[in-house]
Amino acid sequence: MTWMRKRPFLWFILPGFVLYTLFSVYPIFSALQISFNRWDGIGEKTFVGFDNYIELFTNKELFGQLTGAFRNSVTLFLLNALAVLPAQLYMAYLLYSGIRGHRFFQAMIFSPQFIATPVIVFMGTLIFDGNIGVFNKLLETVGLGSWTRPWLGLPELGIFVVWMMVAWSGIGVGMIFFLGAMKMISHEVMEAAYLEGASYWRRFFSIVLPQIKTTVLNMLILTYIFAMTMFDFSFILGGVAGGINRSVDVMALFFYRIAFGDNSAVGGTMNVNAMGMGTTIACVMFAVIFIVALIQVVLTYRRTED
Amino acid sequence: MNLRPKQTYVSSTILWVYSSFTLFLLSYMTYQAFRSKKELLSNTFGLPETFNFANFKKLFVEADFLRYFANSTWILVATLVIVILLSSTVAYGIGRYQFRFKSVVLLYFLIGLMFPVQLGIVPIFLLIRDLGLLNSQWGVVLVLASGISLPVFLLTTFFEKLPKDLYESAKIDGAGEWTTFIRVMFPLASPVIYSICIIMSVQIWNQFFVPLIMLQSDSNRTIPLMIMKFSNNLMYNLDLAMAGSVMATVPILILFFIFSGKVLEGMASGGVKG
Repeated sequence: MTWMRKRPFLWFILPGFVLYTLFSVYPIFSALQISFNRWDGIGEKTFVGFDNYIELFTNKELFGQLTGAFRNSVTLFLLNALAVLPAQLYMAYLLYSGIRGHRFFQAMIFSPQFIATPVIVFMGTLIFDGNIGVFNKLLETVGLGSWTRPWLGLPELGIFVVWMMVAWSGIGVGMIFFLGAMKMISHEVMEAAYLEGASYWRRFFSIVLPQIKTTVLNMLILTYIFAMTMFDFSFILGGVAGGINRSVDVMALFFYRIAFGDNSAVGGTMNVNAMGMGTTIACVMFAVIFIVALIQVVLTYRRTED
Repeated sequence: MNLRPKQTYVSSTILWVYSSFTLFLLSYMTYQAFRSKKELLSNTFGLPETFNFANFKKLFVEADFLRYFANSTWILVATLVIVILLSSTVAYGIGRYQFRFKSVVLLYFLIGLMFPVQLGIVPIFLLIRDLGLLNSQWGVVLVLASGISLPVFLLTTFFEKLPKDLYESAKIDGAGEWTTFIRVMFPLASPVIYSICIIMSVQIWNQFFVPLIMLQSDSNRTIPLMIMKFSNNLMYNLDLAMAGSVMATVPILILFFIFSGKVLEGMASGGVKG
């Protein structure tokens, strides 16, 4: 008891430690342990070593789904990193420099963040639906009636439709983070650059961008983690199967399908191994995230050492 | 100092177009929610023949919107209370006291930032099932409330920066560790706690994945799951999807627009330090 009394911080940390460990840390290790078993979640567990991993990468159907989902997740990441992130920086810089109406823009651009994903997908339907969609109506009005399509049902557009919804809903978060980081830049530096005649965009590239590069890097890794674990948009849009030809399938949806969803398409082996194979996929996702996160930590660390 | 670019026309236009698009989408959805299902499907763009609250009435009476609302609210409040209690005590323990392996303990609480709940959901599901909390809102609350990494990080930074004299003077006054925490330190941290509440509220309120897996009977489900139920069958439920989406979106956005300055400030504080 005295040992505990001398360390009062233990009492403060303990309750949070227990809940956090139980539901946030333990599951990761437990998933790894389960992935070495063949298990449906109810009956007996059989230890099978790396068999699940071998099956995931050699079973044609499973591996096809894995690569398809992975490709879509990577596409999502690249689109976000190459199109959304620069747009966020651009918008943040305009707001930072106090463009007229910046409060209104800021609120408008950020507002979709408060809208639940099913509503966002529903709004997407209102625009892109083949029959009741505004977009087709617009095309007809401007005389491009022959271009009308059931946009949500085209497999070749699948992941891009998902991306558009993701981008619209999430663009404000990064923008606000960048804006917050820009506001931390010392005013003297900006003023000095201004007085020396550096142009508006020159100041952005020479001063603002280097000053907030840690935030940009952090945002990049968050974007990556998001793309690898994004589930709701694809699930709502394409159901558990991931849309026509699995066109909107992503890593987290593939994982969900194997662990919780119907597995009829995969054949007989999956149902009896839902938990084993499900956790195997989760562990692969874990590795895919961990490696990139590690690279980022090393890069940041090396830079601060210089 | 004039930070503005000389020619803002292009940038202004881009922002105007983008913001107007968002505004249009919201107004368009709200407008359509007042029209009958038959009209929506057969005469989407024509002039409205009926324009009334019938869809909303149906949403409240037949579709039991208030129950979903109550479910969502209960999960939000319970989760928020637990998150604040746990993260503030943990952060105080780490930030206020000096002990060995302090940085290791902090790091331990931060690894959760890197690994979203999706990855561990199978063991979480089994754990909740074994606790008998499947299909109970408590299951969702416990899982969501365990994600305390970001609040712990923000609050630890805050408590570490507090001047040591503050702790000392509270001690001299004879207050115990817990009294000091509850009476002095917790109120001091209220701006940070306010930011955390905003950031977490949005996440919890719109949470889709955890309730989807944990809550299996419709009567326990939350607003996002309700919307999905309606929008899955638009031919049949377009009116309810419309009215439900408006009810789930517009009141919150109005609140946001009124308090947007403060809300965005709170949001930004979660990112700058991260």
